[in-house]
Amino acid sequence: MPQISVQNLAKTFRVPEREGGFIASVRSIFKRRHKEVRAVDGIHFTIDEGEIVGFLGPNGAGKTTTLKILSGLLHPTSGEARVMGHIPWKRESEYLRRISMLMGQRTQLHWDLPAIDSFLVHGSIYGLPKEQYRTTLDELVALLDIGDVLKKQVRSLSLGERMKCEICVSLLHRPSVLFLDEPTIGVDIAMQARIREFIRNYNRQHGATIILTSHYMADVTALCKRIIVIDKGHILFDGPLPELSRKLAPFKVIKIDLDRDLNGYDLAALGDVLVREERKVSLRVPKGEAASVTSKLLTDLAVLDLTIEDPPIEDVISRVFGGESTK
Amino acid sequence: MMAAMRALGAHLRAHLAVMMQYRGEVLLWSVWGIVNPAVLYAMWSAAAESSGSHEIASYDRAGLAAYFLVMMIVGHATGAWDVYQMGHFVRTGVLSPMLLHPVLPMWRSLAENIAYKVVTLMFVIPIWIGFAWLVGPAFKATAWEYLLGTIALFLGAALAYLLSYAISLIAFWAPKLDALGEIYFALCMFLGGRFVPIAALPDSIAGLARVMPFRWMYQFPTELLIGGRVGFRDTLIGLGLQIVWLTFSFVLFRTLWFAGLKRYTAVSG
Repeated sequence: MPQISVQNLAKTFRVPEREGGFIASVRSIFKRRHKEVRAVDGIHFTIDEGEIVGFLGPNGAGKTTTLKILSGLLHPTSGEARVMGHIPWKRESEYLRRISMLMGQRTQLHWDLPAIDSFLVHGSIYGLPKEQYRTTLDELVALLDIGDVLKKQVRSLSLGERMKCEICVSLLHRPSVLFLDEPTIGVDIAMQARIREFIRNYNRQHGATIILTSHYMADVTALCKRIIVIDKGHILFDGPLPELSRKLAPFKVIKIDLDRDLNGYDLAALGDVLVREERKVSLRVPKGEAASVTSKLLTDLAVLDLTIEDPPIEDVISRVFGGESTK
Repeated sequence: MMAAMRALGAHLRAHLAVMMQYRGEVLLWSVWGIVNPAVLYAMWSAAAESSGSHEIASYDRAGLAAYFLVMMIVGHATGAWDVYQMGHFVRTGVLSPMLLHPVLPMWRSLAENIAYKVVTLMFVIPIWIGFAWLVGPAFKATAWEYLLGTIALFLGAALAYLLSYAISLIAFWAPKLDALGEIYFALCMFLGGRFVPIAALPDSIAGLARVMPFRWMYQFPTELLIGGRVGFRDTLIGLGLQIVWLTFSFVLFRTLWFAGLKRYTAVSG
């Protein structure tokens, strides 16, 4: 039985909208216009215990809304969802005790107090026995390397330090299901790598089920074997990461090593030239034309070596989402 | 309930620590809480002196001193500001991390409320003693009246907090509530007897005050603690009405809370 199951889940927001400018703002006093935004539009998926699944999509795709519904913050407009047998939006205490959601842009820490005070509050709220609290805290502090920041006021921490403290407080009660919304947002590359490593270890040690959204492709490629691509509230793809390129990429990359120089050969007529060196060429061609282009290259040129590859995942995602940065 | 009490205790310790950090701010709020009834005492005692009977609503100068001195304590104990906070919480999504916890966010807010009152006491008490020494109040309460008055004060504080929190939940529908907060504050002042004893108001307004909850938060415990103003039967009726209004506030809170959560959009992250 899957740990998370979602069926035909939909969420529509009614948002006010108006033209810019003073006149429009005066007009809106008398007549307010609203727009229905279908943030999540009938999605289905299941996730097994211990899986790490990446949610990918451009801004406004419906990733965070889905996570908020699953964590009990939002009521869906329609559809069903169960997490560990619970209906999330019923917000049963037993359910909330077993999950955690980390929102990269929201703090769970007391801004004016040292992080350790927020950890103590968290331990009390979740009724953690003293020994369990101590053991878990020691383990998290060591893994996240935050021993020297525990006593600092949260508002004086750097973003990276605060993010690590947010992760620590989210995991103190050892949740079985973890919703991570942009867990590495705003932190430097070295810190991103450490946070990724930590998430991987937590999943391995505790068998936790994790759903992760991120704009950083490195987060997804490093952690998730399976990804769900969502756009305009619809799931475009759900499967293993390598499958994504095969399914969604409308093109292939042909790489060739040559025995002789090109001597003015018109590569651009065959596809997009990605690399053109003396005797090394890389071409992006439409998927359907890959075979004919390969055959032509083999006929026309002195080819030493030829490979046909799926394009890098970053390229696929940025093309699917119309140039969205995926870093 | 055990979990809620644990959470209340933990939040209380944290908020006490926060208040200790902002001692200057806390001191200024304490002064604000004292200045208001002190100014009203000065105004109404002057009015009493210049009237033919030397009284306002059967309170002479010493009676008014006792009334506004006790009202300082009652006002302090019943202070609630969730109407001002909740709009910000909903509008900016600050409520979301609180909703992830397995206890109601109300316990956190209540802890902040209690922490403020406990910390400000260390400023309020000396100012209150100094003010009492200056104005010479006439207290007449018996031991029974002190006991019943203290019970009424706790019930009034619970009612003021719960009703204010319930009203703050309108933020799920209209997330900017500052103006509503001001209206609510004005109603507490006039219909609760904080501005002047209700008997001094025109009959129509005094009649309105009788059917509203504010009197039972402020004037009722105040009159009990002054002594000699509320008969035994009226005391029982008053305590009963406090419980009725508390029950009403609880039902209102639950109704708005569950309906509001369905509307919550968890914006801004």
